[in-house]
Amino acid sequence: MNTPEENEVLIAAVTSAYRARDVDGKLRIHPNWHDLDDEGRREAFDASFQVRRLESALDDDGENSTIKAVIARIHAGR
Amino acid sequence: MTDTDAHLPGIMSGDAQAFARWMRVAEPEVRVSLRRFAASVDAEAVVQEALLRVWQVAPRFQADGRPNGLLRLSVRIAHNLAVSETRKRRDVALGEDGLEARLNQLASAEGVHHGDPHLRRAIHGCKEKLPAQPAKALNARLSSEGGLADADLAEGVGMKLNTFLQNFSRARKLLAECLRKAGVDIEAELA
Repeated sequence: MNTPEENEVLIAAVTSAYRARDVDGKLRIHPNWHDLDDEGRREAFDASFQVRRLESALDDDGENSTIKAVIARIHAGR
Repeated sequence: MTDTDAHLPGIMSGDAQAFARWMRVAEPEVRVSLRRFAASVDAEAVVQEALLRVWQVAPRFQADGRPNGLLRLSVRIAHNLAVSETRKRRDVALGEDGLEARLNQLASAEGVHHGDPHLRRAIHGCKEKLPAQPAKALNARLSSEGGLADADLAEGVGMKLNTFLQNFSRARKLLAECLRKAGVDIEAELA
């Protein structure tokens, strides 16, 4: 059972759009996502939605970090 | 409201910038469609994987004559990925989940969410009010464009990882609170 402070840090980590890749090139689950319970994962989902909306609004082209990460993967040949 | 398939000719010809423009509307729709799976899959990984698969199949996409065809396909791909990941991790029965109802809504040009039009106007003023350390963490995330791990970003701004994440969390909450005071609810689409 995580403390609220621990949960806050884990949720902040999961809101990142950075995901490592495995040897087959498939996106890995964020390691801190495993450390959250169901309620924490739901909070992380909502926080991620909020963060992407903020990122889009702050970007001149309206593109958030998920969109930029996907475009980077496309340019890198996935 | 615009049919997101307006971007299709560019996407089908391999124009990544056309795909980026399409994703501005499609990405939040795909993400919201995964809310039911929030406790069983890492939605960020599923969203990115689904969008990459859409890019790969887009040149062969055949429209059905109704609006938002590629968006509906992307929601279905994300849903199937989430179901598959959920079954790998949990022995759960997945019943009716509203997918078909949402796809029908998306089959009209008015069915797509476009967010709060006041958000872009309000957010820059809110960002300027952030304290220095939360602003530093937020700016590091924004400039990384999803390409760097938080451990690297924290090192780059001279913070311990935990401190960086606490500051990022504080920035997010302060921005949301400031926007709420300005009459903008950024979670309205989740309701």
